[in-house]
Amino acid sequence: MRIFVDLWWFFKQERLKYFFGITFLMLSSFLSLIPPYVVGIIVDDIRKRSLSLPVLAAWVGFLILIGTIYYFTGYVWRQLIFGSSIVLARQLRGDLYRHFTRMSPNFYQKRRIGDLMAHATNDINAVQSAAGEGILTLVDSITMGGMVIITMAALINWKLTIIALLPMPVMAVLTMYYGSLMHKRFGVAQEAFSDLNDKVQENISGVRVIKAFGEESAQINLFRTASQDVVNKNMAVARIDALFDPTITFIVALCFFLSLVFGSIFVVDGTLSIGKLTSFTLYLGQLVWPMLAFGFLFNVVERGNASYERIRRLLAVKPEVVSRPDASDKVPGGDIRYAIRSFTYPGSAATVLKNIHFTLGKGQTLGLVGKTGAGKTTLLRLLLREFDLTDGGIFIGGQSIMGMTLEALRSAIGYVPQDHILFSATIAENIAFARPDASREEIERAARLASIHEDILHFPDGYETVVGEHGVTLSGGQKQRVSIARALLADPEILIFDDSLSAVDARTETAILKALQQERRNKTTLISAHRLSAVEHANQIIVLADGQISEQGTHDELMKENGWYAEMYAHQQLESLVSEGGTNR
Amino acid sequence: MRAELNPINENLTEKHVVRRLMHYLVPFKSSLTAAFTLLLIGTAADVLGPIVMKIFIDNYLAPRYFPWQPLTFLGAGFVGLFAISALFNYLQVLMFQKIALNVVQKIRVDVFSKVQHLGLTFFDRTPGGSLVSRITNDTETIKDLYVSVLSTFVSSGIMMLGIFTGMFILDVRLALICLILMPFLLGLMWLYGRLSAKIYRVTRVKLSQLNAKLNESLQGMAMIQAMRQQKRMRREFGKINDEHRTAMLKSVRLNSLMLRSAVYSVYLLGLIMILSFFGIQSIGGVVQIGVLYAFVNYLDRFFDPVNQIMQQLTLYQQAVVSAERVFGLLDDPRMAPVQQGEKDPQIEEGRVEFKNVTFSYDGKTDVLKNISFTANPGETVALVGHTGSGKSSIINLLMRFYPVVHGSILIDGKPLTQYSDQQLRSRVGLVLQDPFMFVGTVAENIRLSHPVPDASVRDAARFVQADRFIEKLPHRYQERVGERGTTFSSGQRQLISFARTMTLEPKVLVLDEATANVDTETEEAIQRALQRMREGRTTIAIAHRLSTIQDADQILVLHRGEIVERGTHQSLLRKKGLYFNMYQLQHGKLAENEAAAGGKV
Repeated sequence: MRIFVDLWWFFKQERLKYFFGITFLMLSSFLSLIPPYVVGIIVDDIRKRSLSLPVLAAWVGFLILIGTIYYFTGYVWRQLIFGSSIVLARQLRGDLYRHFTRMSPNFYQKRRIGDLMAHATNDINAVQSAAGEGILTLVDSITMGGMVIITMAALINWKLTIIALLPMPVMAVLTMYYGSLMHKRFGVAQEAFSDLNDKVQENISGVRVIKAFGEESAQINLFRTASQDVVNKNMAVARIDALFDPTITFIVALCFFLSLVFGSIFVVDGTLSIGKLTSFTLYLGQLVWPMLAFGFLFNVVERGNASYERIRRLLAVKPEVVSRPDASDKVPGGDIRYAIRSFTYPGSAATVLKNIHFTLGKGQTLGLVGKTGAGKTTLLRLLLREFDLTDGGIFIGGQSIMGMTLEALRSAIGYVPQDHILFSATIAENIAFARPDASREEIERAARLASIHEDILHFPDGYETVVGEHGVTLSGGQKQRVSIARALLADPEILIFDDSLSAVDARTETAILKALQQERRNKTTLISAHRLSAVEHANQIIVLADGQISEQGTHDELMKENGWYAEMYAHQQLESLVSEGGTNR
Repeated sequence: MRAELNPINENLTEKHVVRRLMHYLVPFKSSLTAAFTLLLIGTAADVLGPIVMKIFIDNYLAPRYFPWQPLTFLGAGFVGLFAISALFNYLQVLMFQKIALNVVQKIRVDVFSKVQHLGLTFFDRTPGGSLVSRITNDTETIKDLYVSVLSTFVSSGIMMLGIFTGMFILDVRLALICLILMPFLLGLMWLYGRLSAKIYRVTRVKLSQLNAKLNESLQGMAMIQAMRQQKRMRREFGKINDEHRTAMLKSVRLNSLMLRSAVYSVYLLGLIMILSFFGIQSIGGVVQIGVLYAFVNYLDRFFDPVNQIMQQLTLYQQAVVSAERVFGLLDDPRMAPVQQGEKDPQIEEGRVEFKNVTFSYDGKTDVLKNISFTANPGETVALVGHTGSGKSSIINLLMRFYPVVHGSILIDGKPLTQYSDQQLRSRVGLVLQDPFMFVGTVAENIRLSHPVPDASVRDAARFVQADRFIEKLPHRYQERVGERGTTFSSGQRQLISFARTMTLEPKVLVLDEATANVDTETEEAIQRALQRMREGRTTIAIAHRLSTIQDADQILVLHRGEIVERGTHQSLLRKKGLYFNMYQLQHGKLAENEAAAGGKV
């Protein structure tokens, strides 16, 4: 029941809804007690032959009235209680989303997106059930059950009530027992299902091997076995699940039997009328639900507890990268100076960057090259403060980036990442991502600069073509260019290209670089690349090796040095020759 | 995306889908009959209960006549009836469940088998995740249709019929009056079914939008933060979140208006009718109180099935949508190429010929143009060229992963299409670049499903020298291989996959050399193994390291789908063409490279 305490803040926040919801729910339960009583009275009147038409009409009118009020109260409590639980789900989902937007990359590296999704879907659903069905079953099992029993005992016959209810606890115990058995077997069945899922997953991923070795029939047999296992485990669940209804009906029938036998004795005694006996059996029928509700309650609450705990733990994670309280919100500008003694990713032992010291003048272009894993991306992402430096600093215009708000820092920087994320929206919206208010002219201009305008015009709906998961699939090169256009549209003081030209061909690369140089005169640009042609024009080129600067200078200087850069350059020249299919004859 | 997986099939209307689902029940005719019989008996016992009570009240209680024996008999009968009903209902539910689960099993195996025989053309265009979801999750939803919907509809329907039968036995006139309730109930169900389908569709759409937005935001969070769009994204998510809430509230409203409360109103209506009927009758004459009692009792039970049916209606909608998708997959025409003709030739020597083969994956751009070559038995033909030059396509065609439309491929002089799958797969062995590992043991990964004795598995491993590292594993050949074999190095996986191919002792070997970096020692082991494997076998090899194919009988240099150079290593080097350049590139002869680069200008 801890979930009800944990959710107290919400019940307080929605106290009016819950107050009236519960009141109306109890009112409904009370109203449902009336018709059986009326039936009893009419039966006795009929038996005594004392029923007159006006009396009957009055009773009918009364029942219609009760029915109308019941319909109304039933509508109201459902709206209030279930409605509130939906509001809770929305609120928690919004909280989680807001929390997610504050988390730094380190948070996402440690967790799988699938798990985070599960929190926002399954766990929230379970909590929603606790706030909706949980409250309903709690109130119903206590008040409805209590009221029915009290009515039976007080208005009809307390001795008969006790006798008739004797089998009921057996039912409660049995259904609870079934419930726990079900839970276990259901878990086993779920596991079998997830094994089946894994098997299919493996099969689809290994489709080539399976076809090459003619393993199709063997795979079908394996699948049949696994799927049969799912059937068997589900049958084990069914064997318990199928017990519920017959057990309940049989025990209720026993109650009926007892009340009929002993009720008759009381009728013969003269202590009970036949009409009352009829009402009594109707009340018995009304006890079934509260008994079952009690079992459901435990189930719902148990799942709600576990889920809410998981959500709370997630919400308790503190954002790692935050603006300092005294941070300046002035958008920075000027020279960029790196002074890093060493950098290690949080929770890892390996030093990624060491002794990185250089200054990039305002308006200059930096080229960053080196092998995969040399630390290029890390160096660039540190400027964005995706991670915080612990040993050393980075300065823009002489001011440490730690002394700026994240908002101010990031508004000075445009970033084109390695893996291109496009959102499910139109191309125009994707390009205008950082500046949703941009005009169509501005968007098209940015697209032209990124050499993607022509491609876009060929899409089915031009700039209005929806891309992303549910839209048109773009090639890697097209995605890259859209994401370049996106960064160019923002026209930031500092622009970062993190290996963002890898999927475009040489000609397009040249065109984009030329546009960049014209467009970004007097603005700072940082380019990391595998293809050296992308950094040839830079004012300063840094070669990283194992997290340290191994070579530094302009293209010409580095070519003279005859080191890694010069070697790679020659190698790549030939490579491009080969991939053009040319010969040197 | 969905369009790719589920080609629009005009025939799949709801009616058609349901008929097809029902068709799956045909093989279970006899079990279904038995289940129905049990259901009927169970329901009959249930229905007889109130009649027994009526007899007791009217014949004994009202006249205060209590003979010992008949009453004991009646009491035992009452309890007995419910015991029978409980037992039969239990068996009945179990039987329906069993049928339902077996039907779903059948559907699942059908879909899975279908997918096994689909061609790579299909797999190339279908995201793996949604395919897995078709085979498991969608069939799971269909299971709900059979398990809950069908059995609830049937047993609730029978129960309702039974109750009416009981009513008719007791009093025809009153039963007729009670029939008036049916139009109300059916109307309510029909209306609820229609309205809920609409609202349900909206909530589903909103939910999937919500999840898509969340998923996308989580994946692109770094971008959102770098571009400072957190506030806007929160706003956008908030909007969808609100829309989802609104849709959910609508469904709560509909349920509050039309489910239990509404059904209860109909119940009260029935109660009023019964009471009025007896009340009016009692004013003019005699009334059997027992009949009244039984009718009130029946009415009480009548509405439980009604509530149950109404709650299953949304499940039904969901199942139809899933079934549509599953049937769409079952009807997909993109099958894998299969044996044609009855000839059933055998591969004895392993001569491979390509004759003017032109090929395209999408029917638009040709990835292979007019490819012709011959590999004589025991010869090695090496394919070189940069990415996208068409090397892999040649292998894909030789493995019959895709159909050859233009030109022909012959093995031992017979068209590739004439060979049976069994013959082709056992005589032509493929070694893939990224060796796929199955969950299981090392031995199972080498043997796969072939009936090969343990000794042969060990021989194969020894042959490719995989035994050296396998023998060092704690459980040797019984060592567990986890998902995707991540506990093994890529070199080890490579060796295991060599052994896998060698257990078949194929006549033709198709190699797709790995580009992955492995340590020198493993690299040497791999090269030695490849050398031994190629001996006496026709080999078609994609080589990334030109050093490994210097002894090839023929080297084909591919560029943009065409063979631009062919010859032996020495003759190609002398040509100083593309092969020469590639060779230099890999051997880092920088001085010559400079010259080559200069030569280009």
